[in-house]
Amino acid sequence: MFWRFVLGAVKYRRRRLLLAFSGLAVAATLATALFSVYSDIDRKMRREFRGYGANLVIAPAGNSQTVPLRAVAEAERLGAVAAPFLYTIGRIGDERVVVEGIDFRRAAPLTAYWQVTGAHTAAPGECLVGSSVAAHFHVNVGQSLPLASGFCPVRGIVTTGGDEDNRVMIPFDRAAADAPFHDAASVIEVRADGQRINETRAALARALPETDVRILHAIAETEANVVLKVKAAVFSLALVIFAITTLCVTGNFSALVIERSKEIGVLKAIGAAEGKIAALFLSESLVLALASTVAGYAAGLAVAYGIARRIFSDTASVRAIGVDFAVFAPVMAVTLLVAVIATLFAASRIWCIEPAVILRGE
Amino acid sequence: MFLRFVGQSIRRAPRRKAMAIGAVALGSAVATAMLGAMLDIGDRVNRELRNLGANLLVTPKSASLPVDIGGIRYQPLAKDEFIPLAGVPKIRSIFWQLNITGVAPSLHAQTQIDGRDVPVEGVWFRRDLQAPDGTHSAAGVRAMNSTWKVDGNWIDDRVANDRAADCIVGAALARRLGLHSGSTLALFGEHFSVTGILSTGGDEEDRVFVRLEVLERLTGRTGQADAIEVGALTEPEDAFARKDPSKMQPEEYDRWYCTPYITSIAHQIQEVLPMAVARPIRRVADNEGQVLSRVRGLMLLIALAALATAALTVWSVMATTVLERRYEIAIMEATGAGSGLIAALLGAEVAMQGAIGGLIGAVAGAQLSGAVSQTVFGIHGETPAALVPLVVVVAIAVSLAGAAQPLRRALSLEPAEILREGA
Repeated sequence: MFWRFVLGAVKYRRRRLLLAFSGLAVAATLATALFSVYSDIDRKMRREFRGYGANLVIAPAGNSQTVPLRAVAEAERLGAVAAPFLYTIGRIGDERVVVEGIDFRRAAPLTAYWQVTGAHTAAPGECLVGSSVAAHFHVNVGQSLPLASGFCPVRGIVTTGGDEDNRVMIPFDRAAADAPFHDAASVIEVRADGQRINETRAALARALPETDVRILHAIAETEANVVLKVKAAVFSLALVIFAITTLCVTGNFSALVIERSKEIGVLKAIGAAEGKIAALFLSESLVLALASTVAGYAAGLAVAYGIARRIFSDTASVRAIGVDFAVFAPVMAVTLLVAVIATLFAASRIWCIEPAVILRGE
Repeated sequence: MFLRFVGQSIRRAPRRKAMAIGAVALGSAVATAMLGAMLDIGDRVNRELRNLGANLLVTPKSASLPVDIGGIRYQPLAKDEFIPLAGVPKIRSIFWQLNITGVAPSLHAQTQIDGRDVPVEGVWFRRDLQAPDGTHSAAGVRAMNSTWKVDGNWIDDRVANDRAADCIVGAALARRLGLHSGSTLALFGEHFSVTGILSTGGDEEDRVFVRLEVLERLTGRTGQADAIEVGALTEPEDAFARKDPSKMQPEEYDRWYCTPYITSIAHQIQEVLPMAVARPIRRVADNEGQVLSRVRGLMLLIALAALATAALTVWSVMATTVLERRYEIAIMEATGAGSGLIAALLGAEVAMQGAIGGLIGAVAGAQLSGAVSQTVFGIHGETPAALVPLVVVVAIAVSLAGAAQPLRRALSLEPAEILREGA
C-alpha cells in the first residue's frame, strides 16, 4: 500500500515530479562541482604559485662565501625542488661581466618565468645570455660570445627584468670547474611545498648548520594569503548556492503537497495519521533525492572537470586536473538533507488540511 | 477595476505572495552579492599580489653593463648615469597613475665593514609623495613591501634629514657582524645607530639601509637615484599585449596604451622619464597575471552557476504561483475576460512581486556583499550603485519569463476542462 502510493505518485504526477527531480539534480550537480573544486583548490592555487620560483634560499652564513652542494640533495630528499647557482666574474674583451653557472635541468621549474628567445638550456661549452648583454655585445642566437674563458655559442636570450638580463649563463659544471672552490655553490634556491614551508626550512637548517636557510617572505606569505582568501570566497559562495537551491526545492515540494491536497484529505478522512502521510511524502522525496544524487553527481563531475580544465590546467588527463571522485558521500548527504528540509517544510501543510473543506472542493 | 483586482489578490493571500516575494528577494540578493563582491575578487587578489613587491624597475639608460652580484658592484657606474630625484613624482602623472600603488627610489653604494664589501642602500622608508596634480600618496620601501619585517623600529623619514645617523641592517648581515637594534655601526667613516634588523629572506638581508638623503650626502650625489621600484596594478597580459607597440595600427596602439598592461605602464613611465628604462620584473609581473586570470575565471564560473540557480528559483516560484491560480483564470475566462486582459492582470501582479522582491533583494545583497568583502578581505567593499536597478529589472524579467509558460498553457486550455479538474 505504502509503495503503491509512492509509485502512483511517480506515474500520475510525472510533470511535477520531474520539476522536483530537476531541482534536486541541480542541487546535487552544484554540490558535486563545488565540493570537487573546493577539495582541490588548495593544491590548484598553490600550483599556480610555483611559477614564482623559489620560496626558500640557502645562502652562505658567517664568513663563508659558498654553500656546500650536498644541500641540493638534502632539499630534494625533503621533496623540494632545488638548484645550485654559482656566480663568477668573467671577461669579454676588456669588459667585465657576471657569469652565472646554472644546473639547467634542476633549475627549470624555478625559472619558468624567464622569457627566452631560442633554447632554454645550454650544453657544456654553450651559453645563454641576458637581453642587456646581448644588446651590449651585439650578439644574437646562434652567434658566438667571445668570453675570455673561450668562445661560446649563444643558444638563447633571456629576459626577466631582473639581474639575469645583465648576465651570461653557462652550465653549472662548467662554471664549477673554473671556480676556486669545489662541491660548492654561491646560493641554492629551493621551491618547497607552500603548506610545509616552515617544516622544510627547519629541517634544512638542522641538516645544514653552516648555512643560512631563509624563507622568501614576500612569496611565501602572499601565496598563503591568496590561497586562504580564494578558499574562503569559494566556501562562502558554496553556502549561498546551497541556501538558494534548498529554497528552490522547497518551492517545488510545496507545490507537490498543494496539488495533492485532495488525496491527503481523503487519506485523512479514512483515518490516516498526519505523521504517516508525511512519511509517505518524505520517502517519495528521498527516492527522488537518491535518483537526483546519481544524476547530479555525474553532471557535477563533468562541470568540475570543465572548470578545472578551462581554468587550471593545460592537460586533459582527469588525474592531472584533479577531479575528485570521493565527493559522492558528501554530495549524497547534502542532497538528502536538502530534500528532507524541503519536504518537512512542505509537509507542515498536511496538518492544516481539513478533509471536509478540501473534499467539498474549496 | 484593474487595480482592485491586483490589490485584492495580494490582500486575499498575503502569505503566498510573501513567499513569492521572499523567493525573488533571496534570488536577487544572491545575484547582487555575487556580482558585487565576487566579480570584484579579482581586484582584491590583485592588491593582495602587490604585496610581492615591485613589478617594474626603472633604471637609468646606461652605456655600460652593470656588473653586480648580490648588490656588490664589481665595476663602478659611469658618473652621469642616474635618474634625477625630481623626476620621481612624475611617475604619478602618467595615464594610469591611479594604478601605481607604490614608488620607491633608491641610491646604491658600498662600503667596507670588517674587511668585506657591504652594499648600502639609500631609500625612502615611508614618504609622502605629492604628484604633479597635487594628490598625495605613500611612497617608499615600506609601502611597497608589506611583507618586510623589522625587529626593532623602522626609521621614520617623513621629514627629510640628511644628518640623521640611523640605519636598518639586514638580518643575515646582522648575524654575521653580531649587530642588534641599538648597536652602532661605522659607515663611510661616520657612526650610525642600528634602529632595526630587517628580515625578508632575499638579498636585502645582506644590506644596510639608510635614508636616501643621508647617502646622497655621503656619496656626494645630491638629487640622484640609481633605481626606482614601481608597483602597479595591471591587467594580465594576453596575446594582444605581447604585440610590438611600434608596429601597431593607430587604433590598436590607442587600445594598448589605454589598457593597464605592464608593458604599456612601462612605456608611459619612459615617456615621463626619458633618461630611464622601465622594465617589467617578469618573475612578479607574469605570475601575477597568471594567478589573477585563474582566480577571476574560477570566480566568474562559480558566480555564473549561482546566478543560474537564482534565476531558476525565481522562475520556478513564479511558475508555481500561476499554476496555483489556473482555477481563477478559468473562471475569468468563463465569465468573458479576454486572454489579453487576464495576461495583463497576472503579468502586473507578477511584475509587482518581482519588483518588490528584487528591490529588497538588491539592497540586502549589497549589504551581504559588503559583509563578505569585510570578512574575507578585510576591506569595506563598495557595491556599484548601478547594480541595484539592474538587478530589479532582471528580477522582473525573470519573474515574467517564469510566469509566461504556465499562463499560456492555462489560457490555451478550455476553461471547462480546468474547472472540472479543479472541482
